[in-house]
Amino acid sequence: MNERNQWRSLHEEQDAGTTPEMKSQEFMDGVTDAFDPETLSPLSRKQFLALMAASAAFAATGCTNYRDKGEIVPYNKKPEEVTPGKANLYASTCTACPQACGILVKTREGRPVKLDGNPDHPVNRGRSCATGQAAILNLYDPARLRAPHTGAAASGTGEVSWDRIDSEAARQLAACIRDGKQIVLMTAPVTSPTAQKLILEFRAAFPGTKVIVYDRFHQETRRSAWELCYGSAALRPVAWEKARLIVALEADILGNEGFTVEQTRAVAGARDIMVSNTFVRLYSVEGTMSLTGTNADYRCRLHPEAQLEFVLALTRAVAAKLKLAAASLPAGPDLAAIAHRRGLPLKTLEHLVDDLVTLRGKGIVYAGSALNTDVHVAVNYLNELLGNTALYGPAEPATAVTVTPPADVASTIADMKAGKVGFVAHLDVNPVYHLPKVLGYAEALKSVRFSVAMTDVENETAQLCTYMLPVHTMLESWGDHTVRTGVISLQQPVIAPLYATRQQEAILLRWMSASTPFSELLYQEYLKRHWESAVFPSLGRLTDFLTFWQMALHDGVVTTPVSAQAPLQFRKDALASLRLQEHPDRYAVVLLASPYLGDGRWANNGWLQELPHPISKVVWDNYAAISPAAARALGVESNDLIEVSTESGKVTLPVFVQPGTAEQLIAVSLGYGRWNAGPVGSNVGVDVTPLLPAGCLTGPRVVRAMSVSKSEGSYALASTQEHHALDDTFVKDFHLKRHIIREGILEEYRKDPHSLGIERKEHESISPRVEFVGVKWAMAIDLNKCTGCNACVAGCNVENNLPVIGKEQVAKGREMQWIRIDRYYSGTPEEPLASHQPMLCQHCDNAPCENVCPVVATNHSPDGLNQMIYNRCVGTKYCSNNCPYKVRRFNFFNFRDHLADGYYQQEPVSLMHNPEVTVRSRGVMEKCTFCVQRIMEARQHATEAGVTFDGKQVETACQQACPAQAIVFGNMHDPGADISRYREHPAGYDVLGELNVKPNVTYLARLRNIHSEKRA
Amino acid sequence: MSTAVVDYTREEPVVAGRPTASEIDAVVSAPLDRPPARTWWIAFGITSTMLGIGVVCVAVTLWLGLGVWGVNQPVSWGFDIVNFVFWVGIGHAGTLISAILFLLRQRWRNGIARFAEAMTIFAVMCAGIFPLLHTGRPWLSLYLTPYPNQHALWVNFTSPLLWDVFAVSTYFTVSAVFWYLGLVPDFATLRDRTTHPVKKLVYSIFSLGWRHSSRHWTHFERAYLILAGFATPLVLSVHTIVSFDFAVSVIPGWHTTIFPPYFVAGAVFSGFAMVQNSLIVVRQVFRLKHLITLSTLEKMNKVMIVTGSMVGYAYAMEFFVAWYSGSQFETFVFVNRALGPYAWAYWTMVTCNVVFPQLFWFKKVRTSIPMMFVIAIFVNVGMWFERFVIVVTSLSRDFLPSSWGHYMPSIYDVGIFVGSLGLFFTLILLFVRVLPVISLAEIKAVIPGAQPERHRPH
Repeated sequence: MNERNQWRSLHEEQDAGTTPEMKSQEFMDGVTDAFDPETLSPLSRKQFLALMAASAAFAATGCTNYRDKGEIVPYNKKPEEVTPGKANLYASTCTACPQACGILVKTREGRPVKLDGNPDHPVNRGRSCATGQAAILNLYDPARLRAPHTGAAASGTGEVSWDRIDSEAARQLAACIRDGKQIVLMTAPVTSPTAQKLILEFRAAFPGTKVIVYDRFHQETRRSAWELCYGSAALRPVAWEKARLIVALEADILGNEGFTVEQTRAVAGARDIMVSNTFVRLYSVEGTMSLTGTNADYRCRLHPEAQLEFVLALTRAVAAKLKLAAASLPAGPDLAAIAHRRGLPLKTLEHLVDDLVTLRGKGIVYAGSALNTDVHVAVNYLNELLGNTALYGPAEPATAVTVTPPADVASTIADMKAGKVGFVAHLDVNPVYHLPKVLGYAEALKSVRFSVAMTDVENETAQLCTYMLPVHTMLESWGDHTVRTGVISLQQPVIAPLYATRQQEAILLRWMSASTPFSELLYQEYLKRHWESAVFPSLGRLTDFLTFWQMALHDGVVTTPVSAQAPLQFRKDALASLRLQEHPDRYAVVLLASPYLGDGRWANNGWLQELPHPISKVVWDNYAAISPAAARALGVESNDLIEVSTESGKVTLPVFVQPGTAEQLIAVSLGYGRWNAGPVGSNVGVDVTPLLPAGCLTGPRVVRAMSVSKSEGSYALASTQEHHALDDTFVKDFHLKRHIIREGILEEYRKDPHSLGIERKEHESISPRVEFVGVKWAMAIDLNKCTGCNACVAGCNVENNLPVIGKEQVAKGREMQWIRIDRYYSGTPEEPLASHQPMLCQHCDNAPCENVCPVVATNHSPDGLNQMIYNRCVGTKYCSNNCPYKVRRFNFFNFRDHLADGYYQQEPVSLMHNPEVTVRSRGVMEKCTFCVQRIMEARQHATEAGVTFDGKQVETACQQACPAQAIVFGNMHDPGADISRYREHPAGYDVLGELNVKPNVTYLARLRNIHSEKRA
Repeated sequence: MSTAVVDYTREEPVVAGRPTASEIDAVVSAPLDRPPARTWWIAFGITSTMLGIGVVCVAVTLWLGLGVWGVNQPVSWGFDIVNFVFWVGIGHAGTLISAILFLLRQRWRNGIARFAEAMTIFAVMCAGIFPLLHTGRPWLSLYLTPYPNQHALWVNFTSPLLWDVFAVSTYFTVSAVFWYLGLVPDFATLRDRTTHPVKKLVYSIFSLGWRHSSRHWTHFERAYLILAGFATPLVLSVHTIVSFDFAVSVIPGWHTTIFPPYFVAGAVFSGFAMVQNSLIVVRQVFRLKHLITLSTLEKMNKVMIVTGSMVGYAYAMEFFVAWYSGSQFETFVFVNRALGPYAWAYWTMVTCNVVFPQLFWFKKVRTSIPMMFVIAIFVNVGMWFERFVIVVTSLSRDFLPSSWGHYMPSIYDVGIFVGSLGLFFTLILLFVRVLPVISLAEIKAVIPGAQPERHRPH
């Protein structure tokens, strides 16, 4: 067989030579070679898999509509100073109100999430207020303008470029100078020395520029009184913490008059039972029910128009007592006559005179900015007489002083109407809404050739201008602010501008030098130059400027030496102009600052709209507060409408019967009724500026009413607390009878600290006692210090990502705030005594909510926290029913989606949320957690550092915000901790302790510093 | 004046006249054999429309959230739990009649047991809607059952809500089994009677091969007795546990030891009223007056006056204990009920539950169909308000006056309640068309002469 040449195909047969050789090789070339890794493909198995994975990922991303391209930067190159999961704090300045507090901005992964006071700032000392706390929302407000936009006065509509704005503004400015037309800058008081210099330079660059400075709440009457009395309008701030006696005359020093954060801290600090048994004594003589009045030891109800005769009578009585020859004062009734006519308790007035005399030099009489100049002159004289001027500190800096006199404002508006003004720039002000309607600013604006409004959210003025120019919010801006002599607070951006916005100073700078192109650094460099040339040399620091600058930015505040002050010389001839006015038997309207919205500026901030009014607990509205007797006289009740008219105009307002309001008085807040404030803030409440007379630009804000009458219809106000008639014996004084509020008299407490009747007893229990070992959390709240200002509520809202739910939901009783301030009245409807009490989850040891939850979604932690597990919660609401304190909050809707068509679900609001706190979904129960995220963070730090966690470092958000430092939090098992002292204090008590729920929040009883006579 | 002497040694006949067994079969199964009348269609149209309203309201609730209801922060339970307790209460009469009265050998129950049991099942179905819906996230209701899972999560056995889950589901299961067991011989009778092939098949399946043999009857009687014994404690336990939802809490007005007996008495009270209301209509429409006699109805009225008086006593005792306890919270809650913002609801409750049933002391009222019908309606209204008063007034004003609130139901609350009524009556209407409303087997046992009787010498 082998010999035969067999073939299988023709090809094989023809190629016979090679075939046998091929056939002899069973395997292909190389297959039988020895294995040599060198010869392999350089692509390893790992690399191959990586390539496969990468191509799969590329293919996958290529198929998605991934619109965020290039915006998310993974930290493969970690930015300096940013550690994911770790917060960075930057010092800056809050410009939400003219107090310009120093703040620390907490940023997470580059985005600001929380604002708190800067502890190094000498005025606010680490504390803040509700408006400041909620200001974080302004940065992330979806309604913010994202690019320059045309207003009603422009020819086209739509967005425009900054280049076009710049060139057109330059052209218009040049045209004004050429045609001899005026250029007007409208601005709020400029607290920044650098910005002030810039405005001066702008004026120099464009001669004929008029700067109109106005502020609704700028203490103008006080300043003009100082001008009359002392020859200078520069006020001298009161050293409140030194005062032993404060007499506030229609002055809400704990609410929204002056430096409230500082004042609250001072008053509260002088009522600290843990430190001293001597308290400051606070008198409040007022017609409207204010926070100061409710926190006063004595409150006298007096119509604001009677303040002058009251102060004069007081002065005469004091002078008589001191046997001083008083200067000649206008004749008027004496205290007894006033007490008789106005229904004031004469005994209290006698005490007041005694106290003023006894504590002379250590007391202060302080009149509110709503009162007219005459009252302030008389008060200055009274303080002078008593030597109370010793409490005055150095005069306020020049930045605080200047506002334009009303007559100049009026004449400028007349010029605008006459077409003499060619250019108006509004620097973050809203005069169309603010100015008295009789001035006709909106019409005047129409006669101006070119107008711009620099604003972050469209407003009433911007709407009517040629262009709206979006500006940075305070967290994107540079600046320096001086509101107290010797203190300059620095402001630095903590986030890159979110949109195509510019800092307003930079806009002006750009217009001043048309040749320089715009850069984000424009104003920063200007500021730095100013500091280098004007501020730094005067400080005499040994470092170089850049080091100083870095340190100043780090600290956020620079203190400068204060030169010695010339002693005040009182000019007695100022008294000659005092005139007691006859007041006819008519209503007067007192126009108040809104508790939280400022002059209406923060109307679009839902958190602030939803903060309950500190006294009435009304949300999302302003109203006419009248006394119960006035309501009877007018034949109205709460929620009825009344029409109020003054010489300038009329408005229709819902009535709220507010116990404690003076007769013949209507108190109403300004700052509401904005018609173009954004989706949240538009048309909330009633605009009462039509009531303002033309001259009433900055005060006094007590306006005589022409008529007050019941109007048809009604309007439902929403409040977070159900209102019970005070004179309803059925429910009267329940808070005292039920020992929810414990009150006593300081003098009796001093004699016997156990006189408050607080007994502590261990109750019998059928369930075994749970022993807690290690750290156990507890909170104490000092009711002497708490003023009820709501800063804690706002702070909690921000820290814990609480939603805004809207008026209609609050009216249904579904408010979401985890901490609330309960307000109780006792006494008569005319002269009520009010008590405030912060109420939050009590983290009971025997928590009634825990045993009724069928799914154990709420349970107890080993460190004594009552916890909520949102994922497990099915929402039976049984826990809320069984909570004696009713502090649990339920997500009846997805509230973010429910409010205003999901307004707070729009971008970029989600960036604001605290990443450490879950955003709760619909159908889930929630409540105060004692800021467990902060506890865990501190615990983690202790673990990392390898030390025993003793709980000393933890501060809750409410505690941190509280300007009164009324909240103490800590480990109750630490005998050295403050909390332990508070818990064991004789005035310490728990609410509803007899239920044996063992709450872990205790309160210190409120002690009223009144004279020994029993409370009536 | 009638001078007839009542012979108390003799039991009153439960069934009037002397109908034969076949006559009973014919009259009871008659509605099953003929197409529904016009009036039935009208009634069905009304009830199914009500049901439809309820379905829409439930859908809206599920889509948007509990916020569409009237519940709020102090009053987190409103119509939902009021209706739940109301329906569970309605369901009580059925088991009481079928089990307890069976054990007590109350022969008059035989005519009404079937219907009452059916009502029980339908009422518990209606009740079951509410605990499910009232949770914020009903799709997670599974969490309420103790199922093993990798998270080692377990339910909380100290929560009365969990006891509710078990109590109500057990009650429903036992009632349904008991009901079906009683139906087995009747299915066999229907199977034997019908000529329709489909019906024959269906009845054959459900009759489980029943052949009326003595052995079947022996087993049946024994099983029925055991189930009756099993169901009896449930009558007491279910509403006791429902009352624990309130009694175990700390809320004044809820935290009361009187609740278990008070709730059970109330439940029987309302259940009898509802059975009586429905039966009056059924016996009229289906010409069953001789099987469900006036005397039976009168006996039910007597139960109502007893339970109504118990409820009235509980109302009074609550006030007494509130005062006697010296607890200011307790005292206030009861004063507030009578004089506070919900006083209208309280006095509606007292009038309907305590005052009107007292009219049953008069035999004339007790035996007058229109009067008893109206009073029973009042009782149903009153018992609904009782639950409203307990749930809402206690929550609306509890410990801290600062968090007191007011509850106002929304249209969705009302809609879902209407829907539950629609579901209940729709099921009743379907029931009377497809199943014998009177137990054929049981009623035959109480017709005169059915049982061996010792001949009484004259």
